[in-house]
Amino acid sequence: MTEMQPSPHPEKFIVPIGPQHPALKEPGHFEFTVDGEIVTGASIRLGYVHRGIEKATEGQNWVQNLYLLERICGICSHIHALAYCLGVEKLANVTVPPRAQAIRILFAELERIHSHLLWLGVSAHEAGFDTLFMYSWRDRETVMELLEKLSGNRVNYSANLLGGVKFDVDQEQSDAIRKGLDFLEERTHHYMKVITTDETFLGRTRNVGILTNAQAEALGAVGPTARASGVPRDLRVESPYAAYDQYPVKLVLDHRGDLEAKFVVRINELLESYRLIREILETLPAGDLTVRVPRRLPEGEAISRVEAPRGELFYFLKSNGSDKPERIKVRTPSICNFSTIAAVVIGQNLADVPMILAGIDPCFSCNDRAVTIRRSTAQDEAWSWEDLRRYGNEYYR
Amino acid sequence: MTTDTETCLQTASEFLSAWTLTSAKPEASRLDIVLPRNNLLDAVNALVTAHWGFLSAITGLDHPGAAVPDEGKAWDRLASDAEAGGAASTAWLEVLYHFCHGAAVLTLRVRLSYQNPSIASICSLIPSANLYERELSEMFGIEVLGLPQAGYLLLPDDWPKGIYPLRKEFTGFNHDNQETGTGKDHD
Repeated sequence: MTEMQPSPHPEKFIVPIGPQHPALKEPGHFEFTVDGEIVTGASIRLGYVHRGIEKATEGQNWVQNLYLLERICGICSHIHALAYCLGVEKLANVTVPPRAQAIRILFAELERIHSHLLWLGVSAHEAGFDTLFMYSWRDRETVMELLEKLSGNRVNYSANLLGGVKFDVDQEQSDAIRKGLDFLEERTHHYMKVITTDETFLGRTRNVGILTNAQAEALGAVGPTARASGVPRDLRVESPYAAYDQYPVKLVLDHRGDLEAKFVVRINELLESYRLIREILETLPAGDLTVRVPRRLPEGEAISRVEAPRGELFYFLKSNGSDKPERIKVRTPSICNFSTIAAVVIGQNLADVPMILAGIDPCFSCNDRAVTIRRSTAQDEAWSWEDLRRYGNEYYR
Repeated sequence: MTTDTETCLQTASEFLSAWTLTSAKPEASRLDIVLPRNNLLDAVNALVTAHWGFLSAITGLDHPGAAVPDEGKAWDRLASDAEAGGAASTAWLEVLYHFCHGAAVLTLRVRLSYQNPSIASICSLIPSANLYERELSEMFGIEVLGLPQAGYLLLPDDWPKGIYPLRKEFTGFNHDNQETGTGKDHD
């Protein structure tokens, strides 16, 4: 099994990527050891934007923490708030009204759509397929506008409250969502056709960066990364939370484990999300939106697991009986999937590294990116991420 | 689904019975098992061999003022690890290894004294534990024995030695000291 070994061999080149590198939720730093074009090792350094949020939660009350935790991630903000709320509601031993639970998963699926479309665009860009990037981001605006229509916000929708949701869904909004989904569904079928038939694009994805089923299992991969390797891991199916027991999700699987499979899985998940949202809108239960949650929570521990766009998001909450938490532990899905990178890149071309990193869908940001080609004897030669991407695309020209 | 989860947890508790000090079921889908520190690798090995789920997260907990729950054996071993007399009884650390299998969550809990906060690395059995263990060691000052490690994973390179941000005693730096990095705790 591959290990994230710290010390590279002196006779090899090391290609450090980051920390000003966007292929991660936070700026991260990878060092790839290369032998010519072939990658022989990888190590990781994180923490460049470690904000101490877990510590910060201990100084704020349970309500304030909802707003703090929603800001852990700008792409999957809703799912963080949802995981936290579900945990708090377990501790408080309250039952949230069914309408609120349904609206929560409605937001969660809209968020998954925007996240997957964002990923599709970014990955296409890494492969040098900028047309696909621009079209998919244009289409993503549809779902961003729907989210704005529902909540007034594009990014931190702030839909959750401890004990329910803030926003109801009326007929007009519901019609707008259906209309938006019809458009997106047609586009998504088109994207499926593009990524499975475009020869140039397939050259970058088919049989590239294969994560075997055994590796995915052993390394604890989650989300689409795991499902593209045939690991049936989806909490919406395995352990339905909020309203997923009322609205069952069909598990999307692919057994190939390569980059193409990761595209196919995420695009099929988009189609499944459209179906699910329509079903929710059809049969949205009537009733209240909130239930009262006390300021002080009883002493105890709760574990809350939800399926974020990138995979399992894990919250551990510990209450000491006061109005502030004793401890909140957050384990995001990207951390699970980082381990797969080290296993997958070994033996791959350096030119494929951008695509392999993009394949696990670490959150991209638009920062400038720096890569240094470091030789043990010679002086540093700096590459930007753009240079590496261009190198990758030239390599396959 | 529910019966599957129960069977899963039942199976796990049978694998681990040899090393279990105490166990609890905080929720229908959860099982917490307190282990002696020295048996952690045995327990993890049993789970890995049986392909019981995957390691989902490692949580550290600091109990600076709390008495160790009165659970006889668990506390005896902790105290004998410490060999430092009664002082150990009011401050201790805990490491939680969360394993998930479908809806079932199994948590292995290991208690460590402040005097000897060290635990074996499980990386030899589960390579992906590397990132979790490095985070644990940096945030709580828990020495993870046998962990392949090069510098910090999360903390800045110039972070002062001996300051562990997720310990309760850490409440931030004085502004005067922040720039020199001497890292005296705020009171």
